Amino acid sequence: MAAMKFYCDAERCIECNGCVTACKNENEVPWGVNRRRVVTIKDGEPGERSLSVACMHCSDAPCAAVCPVDCFYTTDDGIVLHDKDICIGCGYCFYACPFGAPQFPSDGAFASRGKMDKCTFCAGGPLEDNSSEEYRKYGSNRIAEGKLPACAEMCATKALLAGDADMVADIYRKRVVNRASAALGSGYQQRQMNFGPKGGMSGKVTN
Amino acid sequence: MRMTTARVGHGHKIIKWFVATVLLVLVLPLVPYVFDAYADKSAAPATTSSVPSPGAELWRAVRQRDGIVSGTTQARGVDAGTLINPAGEEWREYRVTKLVPYSAYIFGAMLAVFLIYYLVRGRIRIKGGRSGVLIPRFSLYARWVHWVGAVSFMVLAFTGLVLLYGRFILIPVLGAEGFGVTASVGKWLHDVTSPLFIVALIFMIFTFLKESLINFKVDMMWFLRAGGYLGGKHPSAEKVNAGQKLWYWAVALGGLAIVASGLVMYFPNFEQGRQLIQDSHMIHTLASVFVISFMIVHIYLASFGVEGALECMTTGYCDSNWAKEHHDLWYEEMEKEGKIGTTFESEQQAAATASAKPTEG
Repeated sequence: MAAMKFYCDAERCIECNGCVTACKNENEVPWGVNRRRVVTIKDGEPGERSLSVACMHCSDAPCAAVCPVDCFYTTDDGIVLHDKDICIGCGYCFYACPFGAPQFPSDGAFASRGKMDKCTFCAGGPLEDNSSEEYRKYGSNRIAEGKLPACAEMCATKALLAGDADMVADIYRKRVVNRASAALGSGYQQRQMNFGPKGGMSGKVTN
Repeated sequence: MRMTTARVGHGHKIIKWFVATVLLVLVLPLVPYVFDAYADKSAAPATTSSVPSPGAELWRAVRQRDGIVSGTTQARGVDAGTLINPAGEEWREYRVTKLVPYSAYIFGAMLAVFLIYYLVRGRIRIKGGRSGVLIPRFSLYARWVHWVGAVSFMVLAFTGLVLLYGRFILIPVLGAEGFGVTASVGKWLHDVTSPLFIVALIFMIFTFLKESLINFKVDMMWFLRAGGYLGGKHPSAEKVNAGQKLWYWAVALGGLAIVASGLVMYFPNFEQGRQLIQDSHMIHTLASVFVISFMIVHIYLASFGVEGALECMTTGYCDSNWAKEHHDLWYEEMEKEGKIGTTFESEQQAAATASAKPTEG
């Protein structure tokens, strides 16, 4: 029983939107839908950081809790998926989700909502693995092929990590430890290394 | 004696040392703070403490601890720049732990009260029996307005309740996929019936306004006697009694709140944010629970609860004895105007001849 998780390392993300492009390409996402997006906080200011965000595959998913037709389910890998044949496009999951992951293609008059679409962790849907219908509705099923999500595989700086929560946490822990020792070894004042308002080109520590 | 004094002296020494140690350990470390408190702060330059922790700052902003922080993003969409929306969890709490159970309790309690009332009191009969003399009460126009409003509201209420309770009641019966189809049809019905209800609501507000204006003395007396439903003499009532007036205002004000909040949810093409939609959903549901529970009262009393009530809205006429018992003030008024035993057609003819006479003369 693994628990699949995404983690975006804010010290590494360079806002290249490669993950967004990879996702759209891999899953043939409908027009107007962004399963993944990169958000930059303090853009152009000291302390600027970017984060790539999609469905976080919550253990206690708010979308599943509020869905009036109960179309969400969690796989054995801890991936939160939904059934588009049951979804009625009410938008409740979009209101409840903290991350803005559920997206709705506009369908019909007054941009009324179509079937909800969201990140599947590249694990398709409830239909037969890698069938054409599954691909049409949910995108590719890389998990069934033993691969990780395309966004994380594509990430050039390896900021976006995807996989079993324990392994992702392990990798991130090692990075944090290395950063701390690099910071001590470099001999600078902490202010110069971090991104306080003073200290020239502030920002990223090596590693 | 010697021994004891020595002991006492020794004891004094211990206490002295003890007090000294306590002072040293507890009070002495506080001395710098006293100096710090009275020190001149303006001159002292900030030292190490002003270096902010970058991680803490970033995650405070992401977690929206100090209000909503929106970043920039290439993605086009509603609230796309917001990384975490804390209001979603509040809305989930409201819907899952409050709205669903408490509204069920309220509806259940309403139904139980009327079931018990029916079992104890039974149907309220016309005491004097039917006289057979009819009084015109609701015109064809008023009946149409009533029934279009009533049917459209019932459809909306029913499909709304399907969305609210279907997951708990209908999925075990129909299965998830079967209920998916039902809910889709229900949502579509809810969407297409709502414009009809909006029109009917506006017509209802104007059609029944005159008779629903509050007559404080009569209506207060009606409420104090609980409308005569709990025994005692039937209080006086005008064309509609105080309870019906309250129902009118519940429909008018509750209906407007439902329509206004519903329109916000109906048109996502204006790209309104989640916060506004969540607030609208809250208003929509609270007002609906209120109006639906009031509707249970209205349907019970206007159909099998009171004999002779339903025919007013179907045929348009009521029995004169029923009017005497339930709406005595209105009966007196009708008697004065000589409308007892007349029909809508005869009235129209009378009105036509009355208006025609001056032109002849």
